[in-house]
Amino acid sequence: MKTVKADVLIVGGGGAGFRAAIASRQEGAETLLISKGPLARCGASPMAGADLTCHGVGMREAGFFGEPNDSEEKFLSDIVHQGCFLNDQVLAERFVQDGPSRMMETLDWGCQPYLCDERAIFTSGIGIVDAHLKEARRLGTRFMDDTAVLELMVQEGQVCGAIGLDLRSGERILIDCHAVILASGGWHKAYTPVTGSKELTGDGVAMAYRAGAEVANMEFVTFACNVPLWPPIWRGSIVTYAMSLMCGGTLENADGERFLDRFDPEMVEIASTTEWNKSFFSFATALEVRAGRGTEHGGVYYVKGDTPWPEFEAKALRSYPDWKVKGADFSELGRRLRDGEGVEVAGAAEYFEGGVWVDERFASTLPGLYAAGECAVSLFGANRVAAATMEMLVTGAIAGKEAADFARTHPSASPHPTTARVLDDKITKPLRNRERVDVGQLRSDLQKAAASYLGPVRCERELVDFVRSLERMQQEVLPVLGASHEGQIYNKAWIECLELENMLTVLELSARSALQRTESRGVHYREDHPFSDNDQWLREIHLSLDRGERRSAVHPVRQGSLPLPSGRIPYLTMIHDMMRSHSDVGGHH
Amino acid sequence: MSDTVRFRVHRGLSRSEGEEGFQDFEVPLVRGMSVMDGLDYIYDHLDGSLAYYDHAACNQGICQRCLIQINGATGLMCQTLVTGDLTLEPLSTQPVERDLVTKWGRKSDG
Repeated sequence: MKTVKADVLIVGGGGAGFRAAIASRQEGAETLLISKGPLARCGASPMAGADLTCHGVGMREAGFFGEPNDSEEKFLSDIVHQGCFLNDQVLAERFVQDGPSRMMETLDWGCQPYLCDERAIFTSGIGIVDAHLKEARRLGTRFMDDTAVLELMVQEGQVCGAIGLDLRSGERILIDCHAVILASGGWHKAYTPVTGSKELTGDGVAMAYRAGAEVANMEFVTFACNVPLWPPIWRGSIVTYAMSLMCGGTLENADGERFLDRFDPEMVEIASTTEWNKSFFSFATALEVRAGRGTEHGGVYYVKGDTPWPEFEAKALRSYPDWKVKGADFSELGRRLRDGEGVEVAGAAEYFEGGVWVDERFASTLPGLYAAGECAVSLFGANRVAAATMEMLVTGAIAGKEAADFARTHPSASPHPTTARVLDDKITKPLRNRERVDVGQLRSDLQKAAASYLGPVRCERELVDFVRSLERMQQEVLPVLGASHEGQIYNKAWIECLELENMLTVLELSARSALQRTESRGVHYREDHPFSDNDQWLREIHLSLDRGERRSAVHPVRQGSLPLPSGRIPYLTMIHDMMRSHSDVGGHH
Repeated sequence: MSDTVRFRVHRGLSRSEGEEGFQDFEVPLVRGMSVMDGLDYIYDHLDGSLAYYDHAACNQGICQRCLIQINGATGLMCQTLVTGDLTLEPLSTQPVERDLVTKWGRKSDG
């Protein structure tokens, strides 16, 4: 087994990982960043539209019109209301405070904005990650791509290394390091459709959990609304999501009914013009589909509605000249909308609020293990409206500095060769297992089940069944799971066998948390508990593994300057209150 | 829809020129499917040992890693529509790793 050494290992080739690498190198730590896919072209970061948010005064400092009447307090208050008060307010304060610096350096490093509003610049996800990759490279970070980090190694209660797999050659790699930063994103691939790339299988969260770290808020998943389901080539694109925010349009169910008319018009208006759209429209769509009013492929129709076509088209073409969206041609979509035809859309898994629990240094409960970006517990609480791109930069910068400090002051012993052999044996097991299970079919069934049972709308009966079937797969299928052939070079079935373990783990954690949270809050709606219970549930669910035993604990949410609400309130009333509590600052956030 | 198309796919650990280096698969034709969707069908239902770069594919034409030769022309698997029979080969400018996977895009410092 090849061995590589570093002070700090960073897992993840997106924005959080690059920003952590920059901070770690600035502290002088030898920094190795391993990406499961192509650097700056995998994960969720390069797929983002993308906005980058900070408060309006920070926007002015960065040279944009911003909003002089904005303040840190107003932005914090908006974020905490949007998060339905489940935010760790101390982390949310850091997000608000550090935003302007992260915004300015991103521009300094070469990212070009093309539009702005009071609290955001609009650029491309690619623009943001490329600027940070270039800076991380300039500072001397070492990189490995197309390599999955699969297991953490722990000795004397501290992280001392990890095992990776070069997915192209099949070679295993032992990483000997003093601290690890997980920046490996969410578990999009456990769902369908999704807006992130295919390697996002919850690897970081699952290996942290296996190593003994606590995870939290796993029940919260944000779905991007209005994402195409059909034809297959459009599936998962954010084109109609962005169009619905920029150009207008509305949603119709299979009966041709404009079902948003059944909701409070003020809520629909706020959701149509801000990024409340994600949670609200995905929720409304899921209700239609569950009530049997969905389309052939399980969604609703996005139509141009009452907006006159010339106006709609002009707005669309401003962002998507010639109906070209990055690498893809959407002129057929334009034709359909013009001719009054609908496009089948639904919510697509986009952002995972849950993840590795971290303190204000972005340290997990396992010494030497840090987390940043989407795989860390979200500072946005139960619902995200402000930009995850800014979250990845703020959290990456803190985690990178802290991990480098830790590596300097707490050097660990090298990982024991026996531990490495045991883990290597586990990783290569699917190559030796005789049972050639069709892992593609298993994954595909799992994705459909996750979309049904852990979508925007949940209930006890379905969650109980889902947890049971996940546990059955973990106990009965995983131990005998075999790849369809034994070759090690780019063996997709082998890779998928290894990913399946992680997806089963994170879905089980998510389903157990969703079952335990007997209320509705933010992006978590329980049909059988349609109230936000502020007296019982302003608390985080923490899950961990203690010598093979599953542990669950409930902790009060960490409060900062904002007092917590009280009372048991109908879900939509709570959401309406949170929407209306927005400060007087304009823009999409 | 009962129509099928034939995917003639390059197989093996090095570049093969002759007929014997290719394998044919019958794939149900769905209107609006991409070459990647067709390969997913083969992998899921016909032959789980087929290699094509998709473990980190974005499916949106952004990552550009699914570049291969499609009927002799360079194209992205995820953004090329399937309308008829196809011959799929690894990218002509890159060393082959296996089947349709080449060294294209690899940037490791090692």
